[in-house]
Amino acid sequence: MGSEEESRTPVAKRSTQDDPTGRAWTWEEDGYTVIRSNARSGPGCHDNCGVLMYVKDGVLEKIEGDPENPYNQGRLCPRCLAFKEMLYHEDRLRYPMKRAKEDRGKNTFERVSWEEAYDIIEREMKKVIETYGPEAIWVTQGTGRDINGYGPLMAQYFGTPNYGTGFLSGQACYAPRIFSTALKAGGLFICDYSQFFPDRYDDPRWTPPEYVLIWGNNPVVANSDGTLGHWIVESMKRGSKLIVMDPMLTWVAGKADVFLQVRPGTDAALALALCNVIIEEGLEDKEFVDLWCYGYDEFKEHVKKYTAAFAAETCGVDEELIVEAARKIGKAKSACLQWGVAMDHTSEGFITGMACFDLMALTGNFEKPGTMVAANPVWDMSVTWMPREKVWAECSEPVKDQGRTMNFKYPALASMAAISPDMLLEAMETGEPYPIKAMFMMQNNAIACMGAAPQRILPALQKMDFNVVVDLFLTPTALACADVLLPAACFAERIGITGHQPYALGAIAQAVEPQGECKSDQRIIYETGSRFTTDDYKQWDDEQGFYDYLLRNTGYTYEEMRERTWAYPEFEYNKQEKGMLRHDGSVGFATSTGRYNFYCPEMLHFGLSPLADYEEPPESPVSRPDLAEKYPLVLTTGARPWGFFHSEHRQSPSMRRLHPNPTVSIHPETAAQYGISEGDWVKLENSFGSCKQKAHLTVRIRKDTVSADHAWWFPERGPEDGTLFGVMESNINRLIPMRPGKVGLGASYKSQLCSISKIEE
Amino acid sequence: MRQMLAIDYEYCSGCHTCEIACQQEHGLAPDKFGIELKQIGPDEISKNKWQYEFLPVPTDRCDRCAVRQSQGKLPSCVQHCQAGCIYVGTLEELADKINKKKVALFS
Repeated sequence: MGSEEESRTPVAKRSTQDDPTGRAWTWEEDGYTVIRSNARSGPGCHDNCGVLMYVKDGVLEKIEGDPENPYNQGRLCPRCLAFKEMLYHEDRLRYPMKRAKEDRGKNTFERVSWEEAYDIIEREMKKVIETYGPEAIWVTQGTGRDINGYGPLMAQYFGTPNYGTGFLSGQACYAPRIFSTALKAGGLFICDYSQFFPDRYDDPRWTPPEYVLIWGNNPVVANSDGTLGHWIVESMKRGSKLIVMDPMLTWVAGKADVFLQVRPGTDAALALALCNVIIEEGLEDKEFVDLWCYGYDEFKEHVKKYTAAFAAETCGVDEELIVEAARKIGKAKSACLQWGVAMDHTSEGFITGMACFDLMALTGNFEKPGTMVAANPVWDMSVTWMPREKVWAECSEPVKDQGRTMNFKYPALASMAAISPDMLLEAMETGEPYPIKAMFMMQNNAIACMGAAPQRILPALQKMDFNVVVDLFLTPTALACADVLLPAACFAERIGITGHQPYALGAIAQAVEPQGECKSDQRIIYETGSRFTTDDYKQWDDEQGFYDYLLRNTGYTYEEMRERTWAYPEFEYNKQEKGMLRHDGSVGFATSTGRYNFYCPEMLHFGLSPLADYEEPPESPVSRPDLAEKYPLVLTTGARPWGFFHSEHRQSPSMRRLHPNPTVSIHPETAAQYGISEGDWVKLENSFGSCKQKAHLTVRIRKDTVSADHAWWFPERGPEDGTLFGVMESNINRLIPMRPGKVGLGASYKSQLCSISKIEE
Repeated sequence: MRQMLAIDYEYCSGCHTCEIACQQEHGLAPDKFGIELKQIGPDEISKNKWQYEFLPVPTDRCDRCAVRQSQGKLPSCVQHCQAGCIYVGTLEELADKINKKKVALFS
C-alpha cells in the first residue's frame, strides 16, 4: 500500500445490527482447522451462503453450512456440500497454458509460467490496440457472480469500453428488468423475506408477505439474483401463501392457492389483466396511489383493454383463475413479487417486469414489511454488485472515447452504459461498424451456455486475432478458442468480499492453498492490468491490500471483515416517507417525478410505450401461424435443474447423478401424438437450427409447450474427439436467434417455436 | 427412548440436500443412500389442485449421525435440509412437530 493510502483520514466504522462479539473466523476442532467463510465466486451460484470448511493437513475434508450465519442458517445446497468434487477434480485447470493459434479446437495446450502468459497477453493485446484501437477488445464475463464488480477494471486497463456478458443476446439477464424498473420505481426493489435482519424471521419488525407472487421463477431451485429460494418456504411456514405463474407445474406451483399455467411469452397480458381486475373491483390501495404514484389515471384508462377474458384467451388459462388471483392480491395485507430471468427471456417480454411492478404499486406493496423493499448495495459498496463509474478511477487511465461503446443502435443500452452483445457478434463477423479482434473471457462458457446461436459464435471466436480465457475447467469455449488459458481459483482457495445482495457485507476467507498455480479472478485482473497501466495509478502486490482499498469508505479492513465474516447494516422500512431513497434526501422515489411512475415519460425517449403494454412474441402460434404449421410446439428453455449451475457441475459425479442427460419435458398426450416414449432421444428443430435431447414425459408441462435444458456439454468425453465435448449436439441455443428486442434489451430464449421428432437409433 | 426422524413433507421441496449431505458425511458413493428422496405425484387431485410432493426416506445405512450427535451436532441431513423440514428426537421431543398435516415419522 502506498503512503497516500496511509495518510487517508480513518473512516468511522459503519454501525451494524449484528454484534460480532464472540464470533471467530477460524478455530481448531477435533483435529480439523475450521475456516468460516461465505461461498462466493465459482463454482456455484449467485448467493453468499455461510460455510464452515474443515481442513486437515492442508486438505479440505468437508464443508458444511454455518449455523450462525443469518443468510442460510446452517443450511446448504447439494452443490456446496459436494464442492470437493469440483475443487479437487482431476480436470481442474491448474497452470497457465498457451496454444498456437492454428491449433484452436485441439488439445495442444502447453504449460507456461504466469510471467510468460502475461507477456503473451501484453504483446498480443497491445498489437490489437495499436492496429485497431482498444475498442477492438471485448472483455466478457459469464453470469453475474463476483466477477460483475471486477471485470470492468480489466476492460479499463485495456482501455476498451466494450465490457459485459459474453454473447447474452439482449443483455437478457436482469438488465432489462433493472432498466425498466429503475425508470418506473427509481431503483431495484426485491421481496422481503426478512433477509435484511440478522435475527431473520424472529425480528419483530418483520411480517411475512401474505401472498408471494412467483412469476416465471422456480426459486427453490434457481436461487435467483441473491435470493435464497428456501426463504420462501420459511415464509410459507409462517403463513405466506403463493400465487404462481409458470408454464410448468413446479413444486411451488403445486403449493399455490392459484396456479396460472400460461403459454410462454404471454405473461405481460396476464399482469395487466390482474391490474385491470383490481381497478374494476376497486381493490387498489388508494392512499398509496394518491400519495406516491404518477400517471394513475392514464394507467387506469390504458389497462381497460386488458380484460380477464383477453388474458385468458391470450395466455391459455381460465378466466376465473385470473379474477381469483387478482382478488387475492388486491385484498392481501401484503404481497410481493418473486421474479426471475424468464421475464428477460422474451424479446419484448421485459415489459412484464414493468407490468408486475405496476401491480405492486397499485396494491401499495412497497417498503412495508413483507412487500417490495429497496435493494441498494451495503454502504454504497457498488463493487459488490454493479460498480459505479468512479470505483476504478484511481486504477488506470479512464476509458477514452465513450462514444465507441458498441451500443449506439440502442439508446436504452447507452443510458445504462451497457454493450449490445448482439452488435458485438455482428462486428466480429463483419467488421462493421468497427472490427472486434480480441476477447478476454472470464467465467464465460459462452458456446455452451449463454450464447444464443452458438453456430455463429464458434466461428466468430475462432477467427479472432487473440483470445484469453480464464476458468476453472477446460470448457468447450476454452477448447474452441483460447490462445492463453488461465486457471481460476475456487472460493476456498482465495480471499474476497461477498456481493450481489444488499442485506449484508462479508468476507470470503481462504481455507486451502490453490490447486497448482490457480489465482483468483481479481488477482489475474490486476496483475494483467499492471502491464497496461503506469506507476501514476494504484497497483497492488497483495490481495488483502486490494480489498482494503475497496473497503476504505466502510471503516473496515479486509481482516476486520474476515474476523466477523458478515456485517448487517442498519435497516428501515418506509424509506420513501423518510427521504431515504433519493440522493437529495427529499421524500418519495428516486424517479424524475419523485413518484412511482405508472406513466413513465422517459420510456418514449427509448422508443417504448410510456405505459406497460403487451406484445406477442416474434415467434408464436399467434404471431406466426405460418411458422407454427411447420413448428407447432412452443419451446421454452433453461429451466433450472437441481445440482447444476448453468454449464458448471457436469463433471461432479454427485450432481450429474441428479440429472444425467440433456432433457426435454413434454406432456404425455403430446408425446403420444409424435410417437415419443420416455427416454427417447428426440430432435428439436426450428428455422434457426436443431439439436437432440432426451424426452421426459410429464403432465407438469402444458400440452402445447416443451421445456428443454440449456448449457449441456459432456466433459466425460475428454477434449480429443474433435467435438468440443459434444457442445453442439444437445445445445438448445442453436434454436434461439442472437436477436434482441427492439430497444436492444431482452431476447427470445424462452419463447420460440419448434417441432419434435423421435430419433431412430 | 428411541430416536426418530420426523419429516414435514408439506415443505420438502425435493432439493436432494439430505441425500448429498448424508453421502458426504458417511463417505457414500453417489448411488448409495442413507436417506433417499421419493416423489408423490404429480396428480391433479381436483381441478387446478395438484399434489406434487417429495418425501425423503431414511435407509438401513442411516445411523442418525451418531458421531455428529455425540459432538453435540445435528445429523447432517437435519442441519442442511434447505426447507428445514427434517427433525430428530424422541417421540416426546417431536410432539409439537408432528401435530399437523403431512408429517412422516421414521422410528
